[in-house]
Amino acid sequence: MEESVDTATAILASAASLLREHTFDDISYRAVADQVGISERTIYRQYPTRAHLLAALSNWIEQTRFPLPPFVTLADFRDAVHERFRAFDASPAYAYVSARASAISLTLDAEPAYITRAIEAMLEVAAPTLNRRDRRRVAASLRYFSSAMFWARLRTGFDLDAGEICDAFDRAVGTVLARLLDATWAKP
Amino acid sequence: MAAPALSGTQAAILAAYAELIEEVGSDDVSFRLVARRAGIAERTVFRNYPTRVDLLLATAAWIDATVFAREESHSIFDIPLAIRDAMQRYDARPELAHVVAEAEMRGVNGAAPSSGRAHLERLLDAEVPSLDAAQRRAVVVALSHLDSAATWVTFRREFGMDRRDIADAAAWAAEAVLDGIRDRVAP
Repeated sequence: MEESVDTATAILASAASLLREHTFDDISYRAVADQVGISERTIYRQYPTRAHLLAALSNWIEQTRFPLPPFVTLADFRDAVHERFRAFDASPAYAYVSARASAISLTLDAEPAYITRAIEAMLEVAAPTLNRRDRRRVAASLRYFSSAMFWARLRTGFDLDAGEICDAFDRAVGTVLARLLDATWAKP
Repeated sequence: MAAPALSGTQAAILAAYAELIEEVGSDDVSFRLVARRAGIAERTVFRNYPTRVDLLLATAAWIDATVFAREESHSIFDIPLAIRDAMQRYDARPELAHVVAEAEMRGVNGAAPSSGRAHLERLLDAEVPSLDAAQRRAVVVALSHLDSAATWVTFRREFGMDRRDIADAAAWAAEAVLDGIRDRVAP
């Protein structure tokens, strides 16, 4: 039997609301089932393991709470990431779920995140003659320094706030881009 | 992650759990199975690790300190080499790399996500003492971020990179971070 889209959304919205009071580990299928008014079995059918639930919850949070502002240029990209880091700081419980979900062994289909494609597209336009290996090195670095993981590590491990994390991000991105010659960049 | 002193029983439990994680391809393994593999009673596992999270975090710390143990770097400019080696070790044990990466992303309830911080700061202060606070912090956080299992996970998942490409890209990024300070070493 196929569950309706509404049930899936209700489960995720309920789990997200429980994050206000509990960590993800403390959210039981029982509590979600009670809140939504469905059986625990229905949740298991949709999310056979907690890893499935974590991945789906993270997708839902990314879409509803942390929508990525579109970017075409490097300047737009920096602004978009700053905005995200500030949004993470405002909703840390959600941001940790996002960081954590991006570290788990994948249970869902392995589509790269939207931001990965956006970074690759940006570099294709900004640095059209850059060789493939360097382009991937740059894309991977930009992707990793703009991630929820970067925010989570700096917040938990270094006690930094969003402003300081944005500064560390700018400096890291600056060092990566400085490796490329000026001639790399397409003239507007 | 600092590895606390473990009793023989605890070491057996963590090793058994790590083994099962690799076999099953998930950390979703019952305490009963862990106990059986370790050759002890289930209640002994519970006495040492009351919850699943306790067990998982202790196992992640144990994996990081044993399976993924690093050779100590004696210069901040050796860190890219250490990162290259680390990526190859993660690639050889993918399930365990995921466990370590996830444990660091749980916020205050998780593992410390900056295990190498003190070491990086010590190296940097000895070799490049002239940095201001923001510069110093930027180098330490960037290298700390790159020298982690999360790097391997991200480069593999988001870019489909193989072992060589991940090691190359991570070391390349670390060299980029060091570019701004390579010629600022204290005489």
